[in-house]
Amino acid sequence: MAETLLWVLPLVPTVTALLMLTTRDRRVLSAIDVAGSSVLLALALILARDVAAGGPRALGVFRVDALGLVFLLLVVVLTLAVSIYTVGWLKQAVAVGNMKAEYLRSYFALVHAFVATMIVTVLADNLGVLWIAMEGTTITSAVLIGYHGHHHGLEAAWKYIIVTTIGISFGLFGTVLVYAAYAAAAGVHGGAGSLSWSAIMQVAPTLDPGIIRIGFIFVMVGYGTKAGLAPMHLWLPDAHSQAPTPVSALLSGVLIKCALLGIIRFQTIAAAACGPAFPARVLIVFGLTSVVVATPFILAQHDIKRLLGYHSVEHVGIVALGLGFGGPVGTYGALLHVVNHGITKALAFFAAGKAIARYGTRDMRVIRGLLAVAPIGATLLMLAALSLAGVPPFSIFVSELMVLRAGIGHGHWLAIAIFLAMVVVIFAGLLHHAGAMVFGEPPATASREPEAWSPLIGMFVLAAIMILLGLTIPASLDRLLQRATEVVVG
Amino acid sequence: MSPLSPDAVHTVIDDLGALLLFTMILIVAAGQIYRAIYSVAAQSLLISIAGAVLATATGNPDLWVIAGITLAVKAILLPWVLHRVVQRMNVRREVEPVIPIAATLALAVAIVVVSFQLSASLGPVRQAITGNALPVGIALTLTGVLVMATRKTALTQMVGLFASENGIFFTAMAVTQGMPLIIEIGVILDVILAALVMTIMVLRVRSTVDADIADLDRLRG
Repeated sequence: MAETLLWVLPLVPTVTALLMLTTRDRRVLSAIDVAGSSVLLALALILARDVAAGGPRALGVFRVDALGLVFLLLVVVLTLAVSIYTVGWLKQAVAVGNMKAEYLRSYFALVHAFVATMIVTVLADNLGVLWIAMEGTTITSAVLIGYHGHHHGLEAAWKYIIVTTIGISFGLFGTVLVYAAYAAAAGVHGGAGSLSWSAIMQVAPTLDPGIIRIGFIFVMVGYGTKAGLAPMHLWLPDAHSQAPTPVSALLSGVLIKCALLGIIRFQTIAAAACGPAFPARVLIVFGLTSVVVATPFILAQHDIKRLLGYHSVEHVGIVALGLGFGGPVGTYGALLHVVNHGITKALAFFAAGKAIARYGTRDMRVIRGLLAVAPIGATLLMLAALSLAGVPPFSIFVSELMVLRAGIGHGHWLAIAIFLAMVVVIFAGLLHHAGAMVFGEPPATASREPEAWSPLIGMFVLAAIMILLGLTIPASLDRLLQRATEVVVG
Repeated sequence: MSPLSPDAVHTVIDDLGALLLFTMILIVAAGQIYRAIYSVAAQSLLISIAGAVLATATGNPDLWVIAGITLAVKAILLPWVLHRVVQRMNVRREVEPVIPIAATLALAVAIVVVSFQLSASLGPVRQAITGNALPVGIALTLTGVLVMATRKTALTQMVGLFASENGIFFTAMAVTQGMPLIIEIGVILDVILAALVMTIMVLRVRSTVDADIADLDRLRG
């Protein structure tokens, strides 16, 4: 049962995507969208229960363990939230001419194709399949980023496809090197199973550390590009700001997390082959760079979606720091942060998208007094901003604290000092931006229409998860994260 | 038994590697887009010859398939598509380097030296990867990225991308045990799709705003 699900899961969004091509009616398309995402979530939960009871499952090139499951659940939950949000968002976008009604079906088909490729990256055991699916996410999402068709969008899409394709080819080179080391050590001949992560892990301590070191750096640069780690993040703010809002939420919420999963897989191999200190050092350097590089851009930003984009660079940096500080606490904190940031950032993009529609601009100097024209949306935006800034009792505070504790526990004082300074500055900057948008006097141009229900439902779901995870971590999620941590730390 | 001795294979792969580096220099030095396209086609041809040599030496039938696909796709199909696009856009634009070509060439030479230095520091790499395929592969990949970073026109950036992937393929073929076939096919499929999407974008920008997509630079900060 569970093994079959491994094949069925990527097929669900694929079939949904094909179904989309059969109709042009916006209502039918939205219905298929929500239905497909719901089925996906239900199947993923069944798989999660099976894995919780019976351990990792594998079938062919696919395998799911606790680590993959954390990311899988994040993908499917956010996909459903995005689908619900899209219903009302799309109605409005079509009405004002932001989305052309005759191309809607290709939009939906691409979104689900994008989700399918992300699910393959999460479930892939075979590192080659992981790479192919990762490149697949680039191809599908590049078209979505340029979807509005104006030349800003196309510029962002071109930058995205060029930068990430260069990056990802480094990832392939790294994969080839790891495979070469594995083939030399294990003396295998190239069958389809021989790039399997679980098979490589079994002989990982015997792999040649020299080759693995170079391979890991290539992989780090490659998948790091896709994850938005500085200095390879150049595509990220453009892509996040130009993509349609639901796509921005997917890019920031899950795509960059899928790339992080790729990094974690190689981190475990590198840690076994050349000791945990080497990959940890690389991760800390990239993590700190990301946090530092993102800070000035967050402070000086006027475009709300670019702000959120740069903020993702910071948070991916924090996850990398958590993985680098390592140990059970750091790794647990990093994985929890992946979940927290995914949920919160999607919520922030949703709320920002509604505000943008209301004011007709992404410029935060124009978006003022949101509380007066859209009280619920404004509250959600403020909650998301508070959480993103790391205010207790929201979930991101919890995971940031864990990362911090791991850093202190392992004596990375310099890294901790830089990290704390940047977090404080970003805290102030983000709350300044959010406060200015929410409070004050709204301009006369702001739309005062009542708030649409479907985007609100999508946001409520995410806000509920965000607040819950801040107050307490449910026992089942805690167990899952513990097991995932064991997969990484050993 | 294999008709080629391991030493002979090493020599042939090293010779092909030298030729590959030569084609890379041609790409970097190309002042016209057509020359860059022809050079990358020649480079792909050399890669498929390397595949055929390794297939004969190891008796691995998968390598024949890979060599054939490389020949059909990367040496013929993709250069032909690029060629058509250049014709269709009806511009004989130069490649428009961001920094002078001489400077790029100097950087390319530096990359080659560093790649060989790096590989020389790895002892057991010789038993994992045939001959000098690793340093040549790293050099091709990095130089391809260099071309992408220092050229302003979209099509030249695509040429850089193909060259970069040729480097990876060369190393992957030379891994003594060979890469799994299914992976290589998947990789080629991804390359084709990416090239297709890029071509569509280039043509779309050309037809809507009459500019080269790589020239757009309004998004900043």
